[in-house]
Amino acid sequence: MSLAHETLASLRRRLSSKEIHSRDIVKDLLTEIGTREKTVHAFTHIDEKAALAAAEKADSSLPLGGIPIALKDNLNALGDPCTCSSKILEGYKAPYDATAVARLRQAGAIFLGRTNMDEFAMGSSTENSALGITRNPWDSTRIPGGSSGGSAAAVAGRLAIAALGSDTGGSIRQPAALCGCVGLKPTYGRISRYGLVAFASSLDQIGPLTRTVEDSAILLSALAGHDPRDNTTDLRKPETFLSKPTGSVQGLRVGLPKEYFLPGMSPEAEAAVRGAAHWFEKNGATLVEVSLPHTPAAIAVYYILATAEASANLARFDGVRYGRRAVEPKDLLDLYHRSRSEGFGPEVKRRIILGTFVLSQGYADAYYRKAQKVRGLLRQDFESAFTKCDLLLTPTSPEPAFPLGERTQDPLKMYLADVFTISTNLAGNGAISLPCGFTKSNLPIGLQLIGPHFGEEKILQAAHAYEQSHDFWKRMPPV
Amino acid sequence: MSAPKLNVADVAGLARLSLTPDETTKFTAQLSQILAHMETLGQIATGDVPEVVPPAQPVLRPDMPTPSLSVEAALANAPAQSNDLILVPKIVE
Repeated sequence: MSLAHETLASLRRRLSSKEIHSRDIVKDLLTEIGTREKTVHAFTHIDEKAALAAAEKADSSLPLGGIPIALKDNLNALGDPCTCSSKILEGYKAPYDATAVARLRQAGAIFLGRTNMDEFAMGSSTENSALGITRNPWDSTRIPGGSSGGSAAAVAGRLAIAALGSDTGGSIRQPAALCGCVGLKPTYGRISRYGLVAFASSLDQIGPLTRTVEDSAILLSALAGHDPRDNTTDLRKPETFLSKPTGSVQGLRVGLPKEYFLPGMSPEAEAAVRGAAHWFEKNGATLVEVSLPHTPAAIAVYYILATAEASANLARFDGVRYGRRAVEPKDLLDLYHRSRSEGFGPEVKRRIILGTFVLSQGYADAYYRKAQKVRGLLRQDFESAFTKCDLLLTPTSPEPAFPLGERTQDPLKMYLADVFTISTNLAGNGAISLPCGFTKSNLPIGLQLIGPHFGEEKILQAAHAYEQSHDFWKRMPPV
Repeated sequence: MSAPKLNVADVAGLARLSLTPDETTKFTAQLSQILAHMETLGQIATGDVPEVVPPAQPVLRPDMPTPSLSVEAALANAPAQSNDLILVPKIVE
Protein backbone atom coordinates (compact mmCIF):
# COMPACT_ATOMS: atom_id res chain seq x y z
CA MET A 1 0.00 0.00 0.00
CA SER A 2 1.16 3.51 -0.79
CA LEU A 3 2.48 5.29 2.33
CA ALA A 4 0.29 8.25 1.28
CA HIS A 5 -2.69 6.30 2.66
CA GLU A 6 -1.29 5.88 6.17
CA THR A 7 -1.95 7.98 9.23
CA LEU A 8 0.66 10.27 10.74
CA ALA A 9 0.73 8.12 13.90
CA SER A 10 1.46 4.96 11.93
CA LEU A 11 4.15 6.60 9.80
CA ARG A 12 5.78 8.00 12.91
CA ARG A 13 6.09 4.52 14.41
CA ARG A 14 7.49 3.07 11.19
CA LEU A 15 9.94 5.96 10.75
CA SER A 16 11.30 5.70 14.28
CA SER A 17 11.81 1.94 13.94
CA LYS A 18 13.65 2.67 10.64
CA GLU A 19 11.29 0.37 8.78
CA ILE A 20 10.69 3.17 6.28
CA HIS A 21 12.48 6.39 5.36
CA SER A 22 11.01 9.88 5.00
CA ARG A 23 11.95 9.83 1.29
CA ASP A 24 9.60 6.85 0.77
CA ILE A 25 6.67 8.87 2.10
CA VAL A 26 7.55 11.92 -0.01
CA LYS A 27 7.90 9.78 -3.14
CA ASP A 28 4.55 8.08 -2.55
CA LEU A 29 2.85 11.43 -1.97
CA LEU A 30 4.39 12.83 -5.15
CA THR A 31 3.06 9.83 -7.07
CA GLU A 32 -0.47 10.46 -5.74
CA ILE A 33 -0.10 14.18 -6.49
CA GLY A 34 1.06 13.34 -10.02
CA THR A 35 -2.10 11.32 -10.62
CA ARG A 36 -4.81 13.40 -8.95
CA GLU A 37 -3.63 16.96 -8.29
CA LYS A 38 -4.61 17.98 -11.82
CA THR A 39 -8.26 17.33 -10.88
CA VAL A 40 -8.28 18.34 -7.22
CA HIS A 41 -5.90 21.34 -7.33
CA ALA A 42 -5.27 21.35 -3.60
CA PHE A 43 -1.90 23.11 -3.86
CA THR A 44 -0.72 26.54 -4.95
CA HIS A 45 2.94 25.51 -4.90
CA ILE A 46 4.90 22.26 -4.63
CA ASP A 47 8.68 22.12 -4.46
CA GLU A 48 9.49 18.45 -5.08
CA LYS A 49 13.27 18.87 -4.97
CA ALA A 50 13.24 20.78 -1.68
CA ALA A 51 10.92 18.19 -0.09
CA LEU A 52 13.11 15.29 -1.22
CA ALA A 53 16.24 17.07 -0.01
CA ALA A 54 14.64 17.73 3.38
CA ALA A 55 13.53 14.08 3.56
CA GLU A 56 17.15 12.93 3.06
CA LYS A 57 18.25 14.99 6.06
CA ALA A 58 15.28 14.11 8.28
CA ASP A 59 16.06 12.97 11.82
CA SER A 60 13.66 10.13 12.61
CA SER A 61 14.49 10.26 16.32
CA LEU A 62 12.50 13.51 16.63
CA PRO A 63 8.75 13.43 17.46
CA LEU A 64 7.73 14.35 13.87
CA GLY A 65 11.04 13.36 12.26
CA GLY A 66 10.57 13.03 8.50
CA ILE A 67 6.78 13.53 8.45
CA PRO A 68 5.74 15.68 5.46
CA ILE A 69 3.14 18.34 6.28
CA ALA A 70 1.33 20.70 3.91
CA LEU A 71 0.90 24.34 4.89
CA LYS A 72 -1.97 26.66 4.11
CA ASP A 73 -0.68 29.43 1.89
CA ASN A 74 -1.06 32.09 4.63
CA LEU A 75 1.65 30.71 6.93
CA ASN A 76 5.17 32.07 6.51
CA ALA A 77 7.87 29.41 6.03
CA LEU A 78 11.35 30.80 5.41
CA GLY A 79 12.16 31.11 1.71
CA ASP A 80 8.82 29.72 0.48
CA PRO A 81 6.02 31.61 -1.27
CA CYS A 82 3.14 32.82 0.90
CA THR A 83 0.53 34.19 -1.46
CA CYS A 84 -2.69 33.88 0.60
CA SER A 85 -4.04 32.88 -2.84
CA SER A 86 -3.93 36.57 -3.76
CA LYS A 87 -2.40 38.39 -6.70
CA ILE A 88 -1.20 41.06 -4.27
CA LEU A 89 1.38 38.63 -2.83
CA GLU A 90 2.55 37.24 -6.16
CA GLY A 91 6.29 36.64 -6.00
CA TYR A 92 6.54 37.22 -2.22
CA LYS A 93 8.96 34.90 -0.39
CA ALA A 94 8.69 34.53 3.37
CA PRO A 95 11.69 36.11 5.16
CA TYR A 96 11.07 34.11 8.38
CA ASP A 97 9.22 31.13 9.86
CA ALA A 98 5.85 31.49 11.57
CA THR A 99 6.08 30.14 15.14
CA ALA A 100 3.77 27.22 14.23
CA VAL A 101 6.04 26.36 11.29
CA ALA A 102 9.19 26.71 13.42
CA ARG A 103 7.73 24.37 16.05
CA LEU A 104 6.97 21.70 13.46
CA ARG A 105 10.45 22.14 12.00
CA GLN A 106 12.02 21.74 15.47
CA ALA A 107 9.98 18.57 15.91
CA GLY A 108 11.53 17.22 12.70
CA ALA A 109 8.66 17.74 10.23
CA ILE A 110 9.36 18.56 6.60
CA PHE A 111 7.13 20.61 4.35
CA LEU A 112 5.53 19.47 1.15
CA GLY A 113 3.35 21.97 -0.62
CA ARG A 114 1.44 25.16 0.02
CA THR A 115 -2.32 24.65 -0.02
CA ASN A 116 -4.97 26.66 -1.81
CA MET A 117 -7.42 28.85 0.10
CA ASP A 118 -9.99 31.58 -0.29
CA GLU A 119 -8.04 34.81 -0.79
CA PHE A 120 -6.83 36.02 2.63
CA ALA A 121 -9.00 33.25 4.17
CA MET A 122 -12.18 35.11 3.21
CA GLY A 123 -14.69 32.53 2.06
CA SER A 124 -16.31 29.17 2.68
CA SER A 125 -15.68 27.40 -0.63
CA THR A 126 -12.09 28.16 -1.81
CA GLU A 127 -13.70 29.67 -4.92
CA ASN A 128 -12.31 33.08 -3.90
CA SER A 129 -8.74 31.98 -4.71
CA ALA A 130 -6.96 34.05 -7.35
CA LEU A 131 -4.96 30.90 -8.17
CA GLY A 132 -7.85 28.67 -9.29
CA ILE A 133 -10.55 26.62 -7.58
CA THR A 134 -10.05 23.41 -5.57
CA ARG A 135 -12.38 20.45 -6.14
CA ASN A 136 -13.84 18.17 -3.50
CA PRO A 137 -12.17 14.71 -3.70
CA TRP A 138 -15.58 13.08 -3.04
CA ASP A 139 -17.24 14.81 -6.00
CA SER A 140 -15.22 16.99 -8.33
CA THR A 141 -18.28 19.09 -9.26
CA ARG A 142 -18.50 20.31 -5.66
CA ILE A 143 -16.62 22.77 -3.45
CA PRO A 144 -14.20 21.46 -0.80
CA GLY A 145 -15.37 24.09 1.72
CA GLY A 146 -13.15 26.88 2.85
CA SER A 147 -11.21 28.81 3.49
CA SER A 148 -8.72 25.99 4.21
CA GLY A 149 -10.19 24.02 1.28
CA GLY A 150 -6.81 23.08 -0.19
CA SER A 151 -5.59 21.65 3.14
CA ALA A 152 -8.80 19.62 3.61
CA ALA A 153 -8.86 18.34 0.02
CA ALA A 154 -5.15 17.39 0.20
CA VAL A 155 -5.60 15.40 3.44
CA ALA A 156 -8.87 13.75 2.40
CA GLY A 157 -7.53 13.03 -1.10
CA ARG A 158 -4.36 11.34 0.23
CA LEU A 159 -2.19 14.09 -1.28
CA ALA A 160 -0.89 15.05 2.17
CA ILE A 161 -0.49 13.15 5.45
CA ALA A 162 -1.59 16.19 7.44
CA ALA A 163 -1.88 19.93 6.90
CA LEU A 164 -2.14 23.15 8.83
CA GLY A 165 -5.04 25.52 8.30
CA SER A 166 -6.36 28.64 9.95
CA ASP A 167 -9.86 29.17 11.34
CA THR A 168 -11.41 32.62 11.79
CA GLY A 169 -15.08 31.60 11.47
CA GLY A 170 -14.94 27.89 10.64
CA SER A 171 -12.22 27.77 8.00
CA ILE A 172 -10.66 24.56 9.38
CA ARG A 173 -13.79 22.74 10.58
CA GLN A 174 -16.16 23.41 7.68
CA PRO A 175 -13.79 22.15 4.92
CA ALA A 176 -12.82 19.20 7.15
CA ALA A 177 -16.53 18.32 7.42
CA LEU A 178 -17.16 18.72 3.70
CA CYS A 179 -14.07 16.69 2.71
CA GLY A 180 -14.42 14.00 5.38
CA CYS A 181 -11.33 14.60 7.50
CA VAL A 182 -10.59 15.81 11.03
CA GLY A 183 -10.18 19.54 11.63
CA LEU A 184 -9.36 21.11 14.99
CA LYS A 185 -9.73 24.77 15.88
CA PRO A 186 -8.00 25.10 19.23
CA THR A 187 -9.00 27.56 21.94
CA TYR A 188 -8.05 31.17 21.25
CA GLY A 189 -4.59 31.56 22.81
CA ARG A 190 -3.56 27.91 22.43
CA ILE A 191 -1.30 28.31 19.36
CA SER A 192 0.81 31.32 18.40
CA ARG A 193 -0.30 33.20 15.28
CA TYR A 194 3.06 34.89 14.80
CA GLY A 195 3.77 34.57 11.08
CA LEU A 196 0.18 33.78 10.12
CA VAL A 197 -1.02 36.50 7.74
CA ALA A 198 -3.62 38.22 9.92
CA PHE A 199 -7.27 38.34 8.88
CA ALA A 200 -9.23 39.10 12.09
CA SER A 201 -6.83 38.99 15.00
CA SER A 202 -9.39 38.55 17.79
CA LEU A 203 -10.71 35.42 16.03
CA ASP A 204 -7.85 33.83 14.05
CA GLN A 205 -6.47 30.50 15.25
CA ILE A 206 -4.15 27.96 13.58
CA GLY A 207 -4.96 24.26 13.72
CA PRO A 208 -4.33 20.84 12.16
CA LEU A 209 -6.28 19.00 9.45
CA THR A 210 -5.65 15.26 9.68
CA ARG A 211 -7.11 11.84 8.86
CA THR A 212 -7.63 10.89 12.51
CA VAL A 213 -8.17 12.41 15.93
CA GLU A 214 -4.92 10.85 17.18
CA ASP A 215 -3.01 12.65 14.40
CA SER A 216 -4.72 15.88 15.39
CA ALA A 217 -3.59 15.41 19.00
CA ILE A 218 -0.01 14.72 17.91
CA LEU A 219 0.17 17.96 15.93
CA LEU A 220 -1.57 20.01 18.62
CA SER A 221 0.99 18.79 21.17
CA ALA A 222 3.79 20.05 18.91
CA LEU A 223 2.12 23.39 18.12
CA ALA A 224 0.62 24.53 21.43
CA GLY A 225 2.25 26.78 23.97
CA HIS A 226 3.19 30.30 24.89
CA ASP A 227 5.09 32.45 22.42
CA PRO A 228 6.46 35.85 23.47
CA ARG A 229 5.81 36.97 19.88
CA ASP A 230 2.04 36.50 20.23
CA ASN A 231 0.96 37.90 23.58
CA THR A 232 -2.51 36.37 23.27
CA THR A 233 -0.94 32.92 23.76
CA ASP A 234 -1.67 31.30 27.07
CA LEU A 235 1.07 30.84 29.67
CA ARG A 236 0.19 27.27 30.73
CA LYS A 237 2.84 24.55 30.43
CA PRO A 238 3.05 22.43 27.26
CA GLU A 239 1.16 19.14 27.44
CA THR A 240 0.87 15.96 25.42
CA PHE A 241 -2.70 15.56 24.27
CA LEU A 242 -4.42 12.16 24.13
CA SER A 243 -1.36 10.48 25.64
CA LYS A 244 -3.71 7.99 27.33
CA PRO A 245 -6.82 7.51 25.21
CA THR A 246 -9.65 6.24 27.41
CA GLY A 247 -11.82 5.10 24.50
CA SER A 248 -14.78 5.81 26.73
CA VAL A 249 -17.48 8.46 27.00
CA GLN A 250 -18.99 6.96 30.15
CA GLY A 251 -20.42 9.68 32.39
CA LEU A 252 -19.81 12.47 29.89
CA ARG A 253 -22.52 15.15 29.81
CA VAL A 254 -23.09 16.03 26.16
CA GLY A 255 -25.06 19.20 25.43
CA LEU A 256 -27.24 19.51 22.33
CA PRO A 257 -27.86 23.21 21.67
CA LYS A 258 -31.38 23.44 20.30
CA GLU A 259 -30.47 26.41 18.06
CA TYR A 260 -28.08 24.14 16.11
CA PHE A 261 -30.76 21.91 14.69
CA LEU A 262 -32.47 24.19 12.19
CA PRO A 263 -35.59 23.49 10.13
CA GLY A 264 -33.78 24.39 6.88
CA MET A 265 -30.79 22.08 7.34
CA SER A 266 -30.10 18.98 5.26
CA PRO A 267 -32.18 16.09 6.67
CA GLU A 268 -29.34 13.65 5.94
CA ALA A 269 -26.85 15.82 7.86
CA GLU A 270 -29.25 16.15 10.77
CA ALA A 271 -29.93 12.40 10.87
CA ALA A 272 -26.20 11.60 10.89
CA VAL A 273 -25.48 14.06 13.71
CA ARG A 274 -28.45 12.84 15.76
CA GLY A 275 -27.18 9.31 15.13
CA ALA A 276 -23.83 10.33 16.63
CA ALA A 277 -25.59 11.81 19.66
CA HIS A 278 -27.41 8.49 20.07
CA TRP A 279 -24.07 6.66 19.98
CA PHE A 280 -22.80 8.83 22.85
CA GLU A 281 -25.92 8.05 24.88
CA LYS A 282 -25.74 4.33 24.16
CA ASN A 283 -22.13 4.33 25.38
CA GLY A 284 -22.81 5.85 28.75
CA ALA A 285 -22.95 9.59 28.11
CA THR A 286 -25.91 11.71 29.19
CA LEU A 287 -27.55 13.94 26.61
CA VAL A 288 -28.64 17.35 27.88
CA GLU A 289 -30.61 19.88 25.88
CA VAL A 290 -29.04 23.31 26.24
CA SER A 291 -29.68 26.69 24.69
CA LEU A 292 -27.30 29.21 23.13
CA PRO A 293 -30.00 31.83 22.65
CA HIS A 294 -27.92 34.42 20.78
CA THR A 295 -26.89 32.00 18.01
CA PRO A 296 -29.15 33.65 15.38
CA ALA A 297 -27.19 36.91 15.82
CA ALA A 298 -23.77 35.30 15.39
CA ILE A 299 -23.44 35.77 11.62
CA ALA A 300 -24.19 39.49 11.80
CA VAL A 301 -21.79 39.93 14.75
CA TYR A 302 -19.09 37.97 12.98
CA TYR A 303 -19.28 39.77 9.65
CA ILE A 304 -19.14 43.15 11.40
CA LEU A 305 -16.18 42.33 13.66
CA ALA A 306 -14.20 40.18 11.21
CA THR A 307 -14.48 42.72 8.39
CA ALA A 308 -13.65 45.61 10.73
CA GLU A 309 -10.48 43.87 11.85
CA ALA A 310 -9.67 42.81 8.28
CA SER A 311 -9.98 46.36 6.98
CA ALA A 312 -7.26 47.39 9.46
CA ASN A 313 -5.07 44.28 9.00
CA LEU A 314 -5.11 44.48 5.21
CA ALA A 315 -4.11 48.16 5.19
CA ARG A 316 -0.52 46.89 5.22
CA PHE A 317 -0.83 45.74 1.60
CA ASP A 318 -0.10 49.07 0.01
CA GLY A 319 2.51 48.25 -2.64
CA VAL A 320 5.33 49.84 -0.66
CA ARG A 321 7.36 47.26 1.29
CA TYR A 322 6.35 43.98 -0.31
CA GLY A 323 3.82 42.50 -2.69
CA ARG A 324 2.40 43.80 -5.91
CA ARG A 325 3.14 47.41 -6.90
CA ALA A 326 1.26 49.22 -9.68
CA VAL A 327 3.41 50.14 -12.66
CA GLU A 328 4.42 53.82 -13.03
CA PRO A 329 2.26 55.38 -10.34
CA LYS A 330 1.77 59.11 -10.77
CA ASP A 331 1.95 59.77 -7.02
CA LEU A 332 1.83 57.93 -3.71
CA LEU A 333 -1.97 57.89 -3.53
CA ASP A 334 -2.16 56.48 -7.03
CA LEU A 335 0.34 53.79 -5.99
CA TYR A 336 -1.85 52.80 -3.00
CA HIS A 337 -5.09 52.83 -4.96
CA ARG A 338 -3.91 50.96 -8.03
CA SER A 339 -1.71 48.42 -6.21
CA ARG A 340 -4.63 47.48 -3.95
CA SER A 341 -7.34 47.61 -6.60
CA GLU A 342 -5.32 45.48 -9.03
CA GLY A 343 -4.09 43.09 -6.31
CA PHE A 344 -7.22 42.25 -4.28
CA GLY A 345 -10.08 40.10 -5.59
CA PRO A 346 -13.79 40.97 -5.25
CA GLU A 347 -14.54 39.26 -1.90
CA VAL A 348 -11.56 40.94 -0.23
CA LYS A 349 -12.61 44.34 -1.59
CA ARG A 350 -16.18 43.75 -0.46
CA ARG A 351 -15.06 42.91 3.07
CA ILE A 352 -12.60 45.78 3.32
CA ILE A 353 -15.37 48.20 2.30
CA LEU A 354 -17.83 46.67 4.78
CA GLY A 355 -15.22 46.76 7.55
CA THR A 356 -14.28 50.35 6.80
CA PHE A 357 -17.96 51.31 6.84
CA VAL A 358 -18.82 49.66 10.19
CA LEU A 359 -15.88 51.49 11.79
CA SER A 360 -16.61 54.85 10.15
CA GLN A 361 -17.69 57.93 12.06
CA GLY A 362 -21.41 57.92 12.73
CA TYR A 363 -21.76 54.15 12.24
CA ALA A 364 -19.22 52.62 14.63
CA ASP A 365 -21.61 52.75 17.61
CA ALA A 366 -24.51 51.16 15.76
CA TYR A 367 -22.40 48.41 14.17
CA TYR A 368 -18.97 47.77 15.66
CA ARG A 369 -19.70 48.56 19.32
CA LYS A 370 -23.12 46.93 19.19
CA ALA A 371 -21.55 43.78 17.73
CA GLN A 372 -18.90 43.70 20.49
CA LYS A 373 -21.67 43.78 23.08
CA VAL A 374 -23.63 40.99 21.43
CA ARG A 375 -20.36 39.07 21.27
CA GLY A 376 -20.29 39.41 25.06
CA LEU A 377 -23.77 37.84 25.21
CA LEU A 378 -22.66 34.98 22.95
CA ARG A 379 -19.75 34.24 25.27
CA GLN A 380 -22.12 34.22 28.24
CA ASP A 381 -24.31 31.71 26.35
CA PHE A 382 -21.37 29.31 26.14
CA GLU A 383 -20.30 29.85 29.77
CA SER A 384 -23.80 29.11 30.95
CA ALA A 385 -24.14 26.02 28.70
CA PHE A 386 -20.87 24.60 30.09
CA THR A 387 -22.25 24.69 33.62
CA LYS A 388 -24.72 22.00 32.45
CA CYS A 389 -22.50 19.87 30.21
CA ASP A 390 -18.88 18.89 29.46
CA LEU A 391 -19.02 19.17 25.66
CA LEU A 392 -21.43 20.46 23.05
CA LEU A 393 -22.36 18.24 20.12
CA THR A 394 -23.58 19.93 16.92
CA PRO A 395 -23.43 19.61 13.14
CA THR A 396 -20.35 21.34 11.67
CA SER A 397 -22.23 22.55 8.61
CA PRO A 398 -25.96 22.70 7.86
CA GLU A 399 -25.40 20.74 4.64
CA PRO A 400 -22.84 18.64 2.77
CA ALA A 401 -20.60 20.13 0.04
CA PHE A 402 -22.57 22.31 -2.39
CA PRO A 403 -21.95 22.52 -6.16
CA LEU A 404 -19.18 24.75 -7.51
CA GLY A 405 -20.46 28.18 -8.58
CA GLU A 406 -23.76 27.88 -6.69
CA ARG A 407 -23.13 30.81 -4.32
CA THR A 408 -20.42 32.92 -5.91
CA GLN A 409 -22.91 35.67 -6.81
CA ASP A 410 -24.70 35.62 -3.46
CA PRO A 411 -22.26 36.48 -0.67
CA LEU A 412 -24.96 36.57 2.02
CA LYS A 413 -26.00 33.00 1.24
CA MET A 414 -22.32 32.00 1.35
CA TYR A 415 -21.95 33.69 4.78
CA LEU A 416 -24.95 31.77 6.17
CA ALA A 417 -23.09 28.47 5.56
CA ASP A 418 -20.90 29.35 8.59
CA VAL A 419 -23.80 29.43 11.04
CA PHE A 420 -22.60 26.50 13.21
CA THR A 421 -18.90 27.35 13.37
CA ILE A 422 -18.55 31.11 13.89
CA SER A 423 -19.94 31.33 17.43
CA THR A 424 -16.99 29.37 18.81
CA ASN A 425 -14.55 31.86 17.25
CA LEU A 426 -16.52 34.74 18.78
CA ALA A 427 -16.51 33.02 22.18
CA GLY A 428 -12.90 31.78 21.86
CA ASN A 429 -13.69 28.07 22.49
CA GLY A 430 -11.96 25.12 20.90
CA ALA A 431 -13.88 22.73 18.62
CA ILE A 432 -13.24 19.75 16.39
CA SER A 433 -15.00 18.43 13.28
CA LEU A 434 -14.84 14.74 12.44
CA PRO A 435 -16.73 12.53 10.00
CA CYS A 436 -20.01 11.04 11.29
CA GLY A 437 -21.57 9.67 8.13
CA PHE A 438 -22.17 10.00 4.42
CA THR A 439 -25.14 11.08 2.35
CA LYS A 440 -26.78 8.70 -0.14
CA SER A 441 -24.73 10.37 -2.85
CA ASN A 442 -21.56 9.58 -0.88
CA LEU A 443 -20.72 13.04 0.48
CA PRO A 444 -19.16 13.24 3.96
CA ILE A 445 -21.03 14.75 6.91
CA GLY A 446 -19.21 16.38 9.82
CA LEU A 447 -19.87 16.24 13.55
CA GLN A 448 -18.68 19.14 15.71
CA LEU A 449 -17.66 18.78 19.35
CA ILE A 450 -17.13 22.08 21.18
CA GLY A 451 -15.33 22.29 24.50
CA PRO A 452 -14.96 24.86 27.25
CA HIS A 453 -11.90 27.16 27.02
CA PHE A 454 -8.73 25.03 26.96
CA GLY A 455 -10.84 21.86 26.99
CA GLU A 456 -8.96 20.24 24.08
CA GLU A 457 -8.11 17.09 26.03
CA LYS A 458 -11.83 16.48 26.67
CA ILE A 459 -12.69 17.18 23.03
CA LEU A 460 -9.98 14.85 21.72
CA GLN A 461 -10.83 12.02 24.13
CA ALA A 462 -14.51 12.04 23.16
CA ALA A 463 -13.79 12.48 19.44
CA HIS A 464 -11.25 9.64 19.51
CA ALA A 465 -13.67 7.29 21.29
CA TYR A 466 -16.38 8.03 18.71
CA GLU A 467 -14.03 7.77 15.72
CA GLN A 468 -12.56 4.42 16.77
CA SER A 469 -16.02 2.86 17.04
CA HIS A 470 -16.77 3.80 13.43
CA ASP A 471 -14.98 3.36 10.13
CA PHE A 472 -15.90 6.64 8.42
CA TRP A 473 -12.30 7.83 8.60
CA LYS A 474 -11.06 4.79 6.66
CA ARG A 475 -13.16 5.47 3.57
CA MET A 476 -11.37 6.60 0.44
CA PRO A 477 -12.71 9.35 -1.80
CA PRO A 478 -13.25 8.35 -5.45
CA VAL A 479 -11.48 11.28 -7.17
CA MET B 1 -32.08 51.33 13.22
CA SER B 2 -32.94 51.34 9.52
CA ALA B 3 -30.47 50.29 6.82
CA PRO B 4 -28.35 53.33 5.98
CA LYS B 5 -27.49 54.26 2.43
CA LEU B 6 -23.95 53.11 1.97
CA ASN B 7 -21.96 55.16 -0.51
CA VAL B 8 -19.70 52.38 -1.71
CA ALA B 9 -17.39 54.57 -3.80
CA ASP B 10 -16.76 56.97 -0.88
CA VAL B 11 -16.04 54.21 1.62
CA ALA B 12 -13.78 52.45 -0.91
CA GLY B 13 -11.84 55.71 -1.20
CA LEU B 14 -11.27 55.74 2.59
CA ALA B 15 -9.84 52.22 2.23
CA ARG B 16 -7.61 53.29 -0.68
CA LEU B 17 -9.51 51.22 -3.22
CA SER B 18 -10.68 52.41 -6.64
CA LEU B 19 -13.66 50.50 -7.99
CA THR B 20 -14.84 50.12 -11.57
CA PRO B 21 -18.44 51.27 -12.26
CA ASP B 22 -19.45 47.60 -12.47
CA GLU B 23 -17.92 46.80 -9.10
CA THR B 24 -19.62 49.84 -7.54
CA THR B 25 -23.05 48.75 -8.77
CA LYS B 26 -22.58 45.13 -7.74
CA PHE B 27 -21.10 45.89 -4.29
CA THR B 28 -23.83 48.46 -3.58
CA ALA B 29 -26.53 45.85 -4.12
CA GLN B 30 -24.69 43.07 -2.24
CA LEU B 31 -23.61 45.21 0.69
CA SER B 32 -27.05 46.73 1.23
CA GLN B 33 -28.44 43.20 1.45
CA ILE B 34 -25.72 42.27 3.96
CA LEU B 35 -26.25 45.45 6.01
CA ALA B 36 -29.99 44.78 6.11
CA HIS B 37 -29.17 41.38 7.67
CA MET B 38 -26.94 43.13 10.23
CA GLU B 39 -29.77 45.45 11.22
CA THR B 40 -31.25 42.52 13.17
CA LEU B 41 -28.68 43.22 15.90
CA GLY B 42 -30.58 46.41 16.74
CA GLN B 43 -33.36 44.24 18.21
CA ILE B 44 -31.10 42.67 20.84
CA ALA B 45 -31.10 44.38 24.23
CA THR B 46 -27.51 45.01 25.25
CA GLY B 47 -28.09 47.71 27.92
CA ASP B 48 -25.09 47.43 30.24
CA VAL B 49 -23.37 44.44 28.62
CA PRO B 50 -19.66 45.29 28.39
CA GLU B 51 -18.04 45.29 24.95
CA VAL B 52 -15.81 42.28 24.44
CA VAL B 53 -12.18 42.97 23.91
CA PRO B 54 -10.09 39.99 22.73
CA PRO B 55 -10.81 36.93 24.88
CA ALA B 56 -7.37 36.13 26.32
CA GLN B 57 -5.69 38.46 28.79
CA PRO B 58 -2.89 40.36 27.09
CA VAL B 59 0.46 39.56 28.64
CA LEU B 60 3.27 42.05 28.35
CA ARG B 61 6.74 40.68 27.80
CA PRO B 62 9.93 42.31 29.09
CA ASP B 63 11.21 44.98 26.75
CA MET B 64 14.38 43.15 25.71
CA PRO B 65 16.33 43.68 22.51
CA THR B 66 16.37 40.51 20.41
CA PRO B 67 17.82 39.77 16.96
CA SER B 68 15.63 40.94 14.09
CA LEU B 69 15.61 40.49 10.31
CA SER B 70 18.77 41.53 8.48
CA VAL B 71 18.49 44.58 6.21
CA GLU B 72 18.91 42.27 3.24
CA ALA B 73 16.06 39.96 4.32
CA ALA B 74 13.78 42.86 5.21
CA LEU B 75 14.31 44.42 1.77
CA ALA B 76 14.19 41.19 -0.22
CA ASN B 77 10.48 41.62 -1.07
CA ALA B 78 10.54 45.38 -1.69
CA PRO B 79 9.25 46.20 -5.19
CA ALA B 80 11.81 49.02 -5.65
CA GLN B 81 14.86 49.86 -3.60
CA SER B 82 18.13 51.76 -3.61
CA ASN B 83 20.95 52.14 -1.04
CA ASP B 84 19.18 49.90 1.51
CA LEU B 85 16.04 52.04 1.28
CA ILE B 86 12.62 51.38 -0.23
CA LEU B 87 11.81 53.68 -3.16
CA VAL B 88 8.38 55.34 -3.29
CA PRO B 89 6.99 58.14 -5.46
CA LYS B 90 7.91 61.67 -4.34
CA ILE B 91 5.49 62.95 -1.66
CA VAL B 92 6.82 66.51 -1.27
CA GLU B 93 7.16 68.84 -4.25
